[in-house]
Amino acid sequence: MRRAHAIRGRRRVTGREGKAVDPVLTTCPFCPCGCGFYLLAREGRTEGVIPSASDPVSRGRLCARGWASHEAPAWGERLTEPLLRHDGRMRPVSWETALDAAAGSLAAMRRAGRTIGVLGSARATNEENYLAVRMARGALQTPHVGTCLSPAYQPLLDGLHDVTERHAGSGGVADLEGCDVIVLVEGDVAVTHPQVAGAIVRARKAGCRLVTIGAVASQMTRLATLAIAAPPGRERAVTFELAAAALATGRLDTATIVAAGETFDELRRSLAGVEVSKAVARAAGWYAQAQRAGIVVAPLVGDATDLRRLAGDVATLAAATGHLDRDGSPLLMLPARGNLRGACEVGASSAFLPGFAPLSDEKAASRLEGVWGVPPARETGLDATAMLSAARGAVIVAEDPSVVLPAGALAREALGRMECVVLLDAFATGALELATVVLPIASFAENDGTVTGLDGRLRRVRAAVGPPGMARPGWAVLGAMLGRLGPAAEYESAEGVRREIARAVPPDAAPRWRELDQVGVAPKGERNGLRRRSLGPLTPCEPVEPAPFVALWNGVFDWGRDPLVRYSPTLCRESVAQRKLFPGGFVELSKEAMERLGVRQGWPVRLKSAGGEAVAPALMRADLAAGVVVVPFALRDGLAPAMGGRSVASVAVERA
Amino acid sequence: MDNLFLPRVARIAAVRDETPDTKTFDLVLRQGGEPRDFTFSPGQFMELSVFGVGEAPFCFASSPTRTECIQTTVRRTGVLTDAMHTLAAGDEVGVRGPCGNGFDVAAATAKDLLFIGGGIGLPPLRGLIWNVLDERDRFGKVTILYGARTPTDLVYKDELEEWARRGDVEIHVTVDRGETGWTGNVGMVPVLFDRTELKPATTLAYVCGPPIMIKFVVQELLMRGFSPDSVISTLERMMQCGVGKCNHCCIGHRYVCRDGPVFTYRQIREMTE
Amino acid sequence: MHSNAARTIGKERMREWIGRLMERAEVLAPTSARAGDIILRRISSPLEVQWGGDIPLLPPKQAVLPQTDPLVSIGRGPGGFVVEPVYDETPRVLFGLRSCDVKGIEFLTRVHEYDLADAAYLRRAAAVTSVSVACVAPCAFGFCICCDAGPFLADSFDVQLTDLGDRFLAEVGSEKGGRLLEPSADLFRTGRADEVALRHELEEAAKRAFGPETCHFASAMRRVSVGRVSAELWDEIADTCLECGACNFVCPTCYCFSVKDQARDGRWVRCRTWDSCQFRAFTLEASGHNPREAHRERVKRRFFHKVSAQYFRRDGAVGCVGCGRCVKVCLGTSDMPAVVAAIRKGEWHG
Repeated sequence: MRRAHAIRGRRRVTGREGKAVDPVLTTCPFCPCGCGFYLLAREGRTEGVIPSASDPVSRGRLCARGWASHEAPAWGERLTEPLLRHDGRMRPVSWETALDAAAGSLAAMRRAGRTIGVLGSARATNEENYLAVRMARGALQTPHVGTCLSPAYQPLLDGLHDVTERHAGSGGVADLEGCDVIVLVEGDVAVTHPQVAGAIVRARKAGCRLVTIGAVASQMTRLATLAIAAPPGRERAVTFELAAAALATGRLDTATIVAAGETFDELRRSLAGVEVSKAVARAAGWYAQAQRAGIVVAPLVGDATDLRRLAGDVATLAAATGHLDRDGSPLLMLPARGNLRGACEVGASSAFLPGFAPLSDEKAASRLEGVWGVPPARETGLDATAMLSAARGAVIVAEDPSVVLPAGALAREALGRMECVVLLDAFATGALELATVVLPIASFAENDGTVTGLDGRLRRVRAAVGPPGMARPGWAVLGAMLGRLGPAAEYESAEGVRREIARAVPPDAAPRWRELDQVGVAPKGERNGLRRRSLGPLTPCEPVEPAPFVALWNGVFDWGRDPLVRYSPTLCRESVAQRKLFPGGFVELSKEAMERLGVRQGWPVRLKSAGGEAVAPALMRADLAAGVVVVPFALRDGLAPAMGGRSVASVAVERA
Repeated sequence: MDNLFLPRVARIAAVRDETPDTKTFDLVLRQGGEPRDFTFSPGQFMELSVFGVGEAPFCFASSPTRTECIQTTVRRTGVLTDAMHTLAAGDEVGVRGPCGNGFDVAAATAKDLLFIGGGIGLPPLRGLIWNVLDERDRFGKVTILYGARTPTDLVYKDELEEWARRGDVEIHVTVDRGETGWTGNVGMVPVLFDRTELKPATTLAYVCGPPIMIKFVVQELLMRGFSPDSVISTLERMMQCGVGKCNHCCIGHRYVCRDGPVFTYRQIREMTE
Repeated sequence: MHSNAARTIGKERMREWIGRLMERAEVLAPTSARAGDIILRRISSPLEVQWGGDIPLLPPKQAVLPQTDPLVSIGRGPGGFVVEPVYDETPRVLFGLRSCDVKGIEFLTRVHEYDLADAAYLRRAAAVTSVSVACVAPCAFGFCICCDAGPFLADSFDVQLTDLGDRFLAEVGSEKGGRLLEPSADLFRTGRADEVALRHELEEAAKRAFGPETCHFASAMRRVSVGRVSAELWDEIADTCLECGACNFVCPTCYCFSVKDQARDGRWVRCRTWDSCQFRAFTLEASGHNPREAHRERVKRRFFHKVSAQYFRRDGAVGCVGCGRCVKVCLGTSDMPAVVAAIRKGEWHG
């Protein structure tokens, strides 16, 4: 009985049987817009959503996912008891047994010098991610900590940091509505970030000029004043040109130029002679002249270097034209999923300590030692994919890596090879069958804590009902594991963890972790825009070999298999149908391409690349450029060989 | 006032494989005693539930003149039909209905009847066909034209032969693609039109099948002189309630679950989304 | 029989009356919630009632047709499955409703009575009595005057209150309404002629005070009913719609739903859940075929159901009570007044 009581968070919040309890104000668990709303519950089950007109982000407007967010916790397949694998079979065990087994295995592996990885998640709160970081870099002394989605997001933050003083953009979603010009580096924000898309629609209605940059036509490109087609996966080719064109307009911010001094000349030299298309020149002119101008970068496929440079391009563009530190001129990098920004901020990262403190930062290290009782592991860790390949043991918080990671099948194999996989989740996912120990935790509807919106605003998550069965809040379970791994850690509440985060992050980041109010706190200074750190030369895009077809994923994330969508009867329908109809995937081709290949709707085509080949049915998509082949991320596994493990690849396509 | 959503529990008395992806279920209602107090007309449908999985609409494949059980033929296409296919004799399902308008059997009295089915479109016609055959004297000439993709995809293979053996039914079967051992017709359903003598003025044509087949068959019938009022078909839509409330199956202001699923071609032609 | 004679109640006696109503029923009323929003919820004290705040974003539809609505309980017994209907007949008083919301509930009740009567809905609704407060001034986005749903009601209400300053005039419009006043007769007195006259003056003044937000249903109805709205216009409108379904969810007259089995401790409860005709999956068939695959077809569907003559004839009203909620919650810009104006003019200014 020694440790069983170490799990906190048993508080029941449900009302009497049959009675509705008061609606609970919380934050949407889906995308990172971070909309607030009230959850309604009855008989211990969430049953509805009430929008909040006074919420600063949503202002009463929710997307389809927000409106259905009560469903997955109440309808989903929930994990309700700790499970331990024994002779290949999962058996229910007590918390005590499960925690002892998990902590015992991990401690033994650590003593034996085995590689251990820890994965936080964009589906977990800041507190849970922070405790995962503390477990990795503190208790387990491993640098391998991160999230599955960071590789598509962290490079954008790094690119901003190359130019500005922070790993963050500026402004919020609502600022977009006041913009005269919006430059949208488009994925498909109407689907991925509806609240952002809504702000853009309303801005358009108010007369804002919208410039979209993207390889594939979308609802936003149809609304655009100017839609600039980018080569697939090479949006950066356009942002570089855009930066060059803006400098050529001469409408630059004098203060920035003066402050930049010689580095501005380097920048100018790096952009001299860049050929700029008419469309880009127009867009640059609009942006430079605008009183308030926004830049939005949707989650993009492409390699990390390109993403980092793209963020550098747009930050340079914003700095040189004076928009970077101007109120009402937002610069927004959209994380693919809910709390991705928060997870990165609290240190779920291979390259940073909590609060984006560099690994080499001695002050940060000693601050953490003071809080954790041990100095943090300070090596650079492996990213999620490499970590799973290398590690013999893993702790995974609220994630199914095989669904989220680009190389899903490989992640599955890697997990299957491990000696010990400790899985914390609220929902049954595919990861369950690969786990050694399963620790059932609360879903967002039963949890307390905070998440960070794409605008950096800290938002509260509040429990509307109690967790089902034996499940406990993730922060309490991670706290109990930390207690076993030592040095001692004891948390009374999620708020206790948050107070610890305030002590763990650099002093300038600490206040907002302390001063959280009801609607959340935007990071200090960010409402007033970003400050420039340095301007420097931009690197031109490397030319690519022209290919008859370039295949690319339609995004970086599959909402369909996220448990909050998969287990929502309202939200799961389309992806369930798509999976059923096309179990091996499909590809989308332009009408022109299908005619050229002599294939009709649904006929099989073969995709070939240096990496391999795959056959899938072809579906016609009217708004596609002739040489573009769209591969749905959700069904990427079947087509992975033909893409050679990449998100964008030159391919040959033929009738199969 | 009844609860519109309350199903009756039915026991599966037998399951038969029709094709690799299609099964016929014999259902016997458990509550309410005899199946005969569950009256329906051919062309109506029921909301069939697999408890815990959900509900979906399925046509009655049997005739109301046969009261020993209710039959339905189910092809695997979605989550619920997958679940149906895992069930065996002795398992229980929910049955709600009957729903919809059904075929107007009285109006068919003394008429020549032409049944044209494609693939999984034969089951809704089968209920009517058996009803007609069980009261054979009331009707004129009965002709059945049936087509499927391959011989394997033909449903009710035994009955097709049984109908062929009867002297009072003319039946022609075709497949899009033959298989080894197939000696019958090859080609789409319209190829069968030349095998039979049509009397458009005195005939009612009942057409069920995939949308593309219905389109070609109806074109052919109209060309050969059928009136849009004597071509009768059934429509399929996504449905949830089957009782005209949920609004999933609307076409304009018509509800397929209440105003249909049986419509004349004239009615169908006049509908707008 | 109830008496139609208007009565008055002093404002200082209102708490006493609400307290007495709470003894006999669940009382739901507009209250101030954590972030400052006015939401309709069950009160535990008369002091919680918020008078005269913003219209709650979620209409009282939740009291007659909850977002998750249990219909049938499914369990296992010794002899096989046991299915039982689930009814909620809890007496409820919806206190402080707007006129438009009373009309909304009346509309919903009519469609659930139509053709096959829906017992699950009707039994719950039969146990609901409304006490509405007539609007003496139009709200910011409201256009109830365009669809005979306010600012004052001439019919359809149970009890209608009018704010006369230090007291309310209470009109009883139904037997159910009468039953709310009878046991508290001591708190009311018969309304005087000047009080009734003041109520009518207030109504006229309220009608004259409507601002520019109008909604010309009649001319839109003509075009929608015969399909005389171009595909291009529907496309343009669709491009400003983000398919969130909010217009349906907050609409006092929308009632589309799906039916699903929810697992609960070894048994299931078959529930109806709010659905939206704006969702692509709404008409998606198991075969993958979707008769409303194009976004414009879904937008068109919504407005056909709302304002066509075909549905007007069936439902006796347009499917709108002018509450203005869709203007507030629309994630894009395709709310009712905007689309009706576009249909009427034949061009979109989204």
